[in-house]
Amino acid sequence: MRDNNFKMVIVLTVIAAIAAFVLSFVYSSTKDKIAEAYRQEFLRALVKVFPNYNNEPDKDINIVDGQNIYIAKMDDKVVGYAIKSTSSKGYGGDIDVLIAVSTDGKITGIEILRHAETPGLGDKIEDEWFKNLFKGLTAKDNIAVKKDGGIIDQFSGATISPRAVSEAVANGLKFIDDKILGK
Amino acid sequence: MSLIKIFKEGLWKNNAVFKQVLGMCPALAVTTSAINGIAMGLASTAVLICSNIVVSIVKDYIPSKVRIPAYIVIIASFVTVIDLVMNAYLHDIHKVLGLFIPLIVVNCMILGRAESFASKNSVVKSIFDGIGIGLGFTFALFILGSVREILGNGSILGFTVTGEWFKPAIVMILPPGAFIALGFIMFAINYIEDRRKIKNAPKEHCSVG
Repeated sequence: MRDNNFKMVIVLTVIAAIAAFVLSFVYSSTKDKIAEAYRQEFLRALVKVFPNYNNEPDKDINIVDGQNIYIAKMDDKVVGYAIKSTSSKGYGGDIDVLIAVSTDGKITGIEILRHAETPGLGDKIEDEWFKNLFKGLTAKDNIAVKKDGGIIDQFSGATISPRAVSEAVANGLKFIDDKILGK
Repeated sequence: MSLIKIFKEGLWKNNAVFKQVLGMCPALAVTTSAINGIAMGLASTAVLICSNIVVSIVKDYIPSKVRIPAYIVIIASFVTVIDLVMNAYLHDIHKVLGLFIPLIVVNCMILGRAESFASKNSVVKSIFDGIGIGLGFTFALFILGSVREILGNGSILGFTVTGEWFKPAIVMILPPGAFIALGFIMFAINYIEDRRKIKNAPKEHCSVG
């Protein structure tokens, strides 16, 4: 009986050790690739939200009140600021939005970085027409869905997701307007 | 049992979703569209084939008392590997399915095959069983996803198939829709199979009553 117990421990240990070895190997060989994929994704988002720039905004960072502000420059002249803003009011958890604002306080574009909204329903927040609704808005506009008295169109059957995006955009825009442009 | 027969049994007669009613968590959670169903099915198939191979290789060395934890470690490792590899090389698909990949670990279909097939059969047979069951699972998820996408969004694989007159029933792509669709699909399958059984039954059997 003691032998049997001993064998069980040995077998499980060996299996776990092999698994750990394989996993550490796969992890270390995919780590850089994954980091690069996330960076490319972020760069693609930056290209979409800023009109024109020729620096690397993901490296040109200004930290204000613990928030990263990504600065886009054209020939060393600042053309816009971008900020990541999160709303916890999504249907499927947090929604991360990237908001870019030009130096005169207008939104030049938004991108949804991360969300877990219902596929085929709430995930329409990723559609171009929806993201374009925010273009050109300023802090003076009432950025909220029409159901809440704002100016953003919700889509049929889904109010929660556009509401969460509106909240994230409004907060991000206000932050840039108050803390950076307002100075 | 021939390899072809093992494959066929996995595909339909022992179909994980429609016949064994296993792996319900991913089957109900991800099938909001046909493409999600296919992707989830193929990812599960990959894990199932790998775990079947390894389990059938090591089956003689594992004391029966610790076989379940051993199988779980093997399955969880493969799931993590697939999660990492997909994240690195198929980043866009991973963005959609990423949330559900770790769920494959607790898909009892995979543990079920390790326990009831791979631990008693040869490597080659286990591979065929993995392919059959896995593709059967993928097929079931595709059917479920298609039904829900057509009824809930008026499209299939992203292409709109219904006319302007069709008003999608949003409930079908919400969680309750998964249960409703699965219930009706299983009713249809059982109904058709029962009718066929009655038709094929010997005549005297019918005239008894």
